Amino acid sequence: MSADCEKIGDCEDARIQRLYEYLDGALTHEDLEEVRSHLEECTECAHEYDLECIIRSVVRRSCTEKAPDALKVNIMARISQIRVEAGH
Amino acid sequence: METHKTAQAPSEHDDPEVDLTAESDAARRQRFERDALEYVDQLYSAAMRMTRNPQDAEDLVQEAYTKAYSSFHQYRPGTNLKAWLYRILTNTYINLYRKRQRQPQQAATDTVEDWQMAKAAQHTSTGLRSAETEALDHLPDSDVKDALQAIPEEFRLAVYFADVEGFAYKEIAEILDIPIGTVMSRLHRGRKLLRGLLTDYARERGITVEPKTPRTRKAAPKKGGTKTTTSKNAESDAGATGGTEEQEAGR
Repeated sequence: MSADCEKIGDCEDARIQRLYEYLDGALTHEDLEEVRSHLEECTECAHEYDLECIIRSVVRRSCTEKAPDALKVNIMARISQIRVEAGH
Repeated sequence: METHKTAQAPSEHDDPEVDLTAESDAARRQRFERDALEYVDQLYSAAMRMTRNPQDAEDLVQEAYTKAYSSFHQYRPGTNLKAWLYRILTNTYINLYRKRQRQPQQAATDTVEDWQMAKAAQHTSTGLRSAETEALDHLPDSDVKDALQAIPEEFRLAVYFADVEGFAYKEIAEILDIPIGTVMSRLHRGRKLLRGLLTDYARERGITVEPKTPRTRKAAPKKGGTKTTTSKNAESDAGATGGTEEQEAGR
């Protein structure tokens, strides 16, 4: 870790948290710039950042299922039924 | 006041200014079908993370949509419909479904967490070489799902909502009905656990690519002692340097 890393967090946990917030779009413009410029200079933090990006894309890729075709049909059928019941 | 734009017949479609009191049942149903059903696949994926099996996930989504329809008049058009639906899904799951499931596994959260956290903490990027990063990128979907499934539920849902669905902290707080600070801490811990598990899988799968022994607590690295038949080059060197640095810093 370079001394500059302390700019984004004073321990590893704090730095990771900072990167999460950076990726989550939860930083103010000023903080965001600070992290961005640090990532350009520090290979270690940049690697950490890359890793987090990979994990997110992998999770996104793997956990996106398509609902069975029948589900939509069933939902609408259920809803029609509710309307019939409610409409006396 | 600028209200001169309503000269045309009121359209039932795609404007946020639906007159809820005047809306007919048929129109509401149509609006629901058009706007809410768009999220079926996404809600189903989330339901899979909750229930772990397709049939239960289907039932849960159907139940949630039924509830959503019944209270659709309470949804304010123009606000975040997706988050609104997710909230109903989550509530349905918690109130109804989880009780029915009667799986005592959740009690394990705290105990599981401690060792998992400790383990996850070892997995900093310095220990992860490029070949393993590569393996991580190519992990089969089943591994990733297993890993996500293995972390405690309250962390899992937060991570799923943030990383797959891209919800903001505030939205997750509303969906799960918890403070933003809690969202952040669940995300932090959940992501760390997930990373630990995924890098474990990646290491296992990466071994064929990168035959160097993985870092363990006991074995101090023997300098120049390891002979490998496979060519090692710049990739692994970069990783090794990081490791040494870290060990020295720890002294």
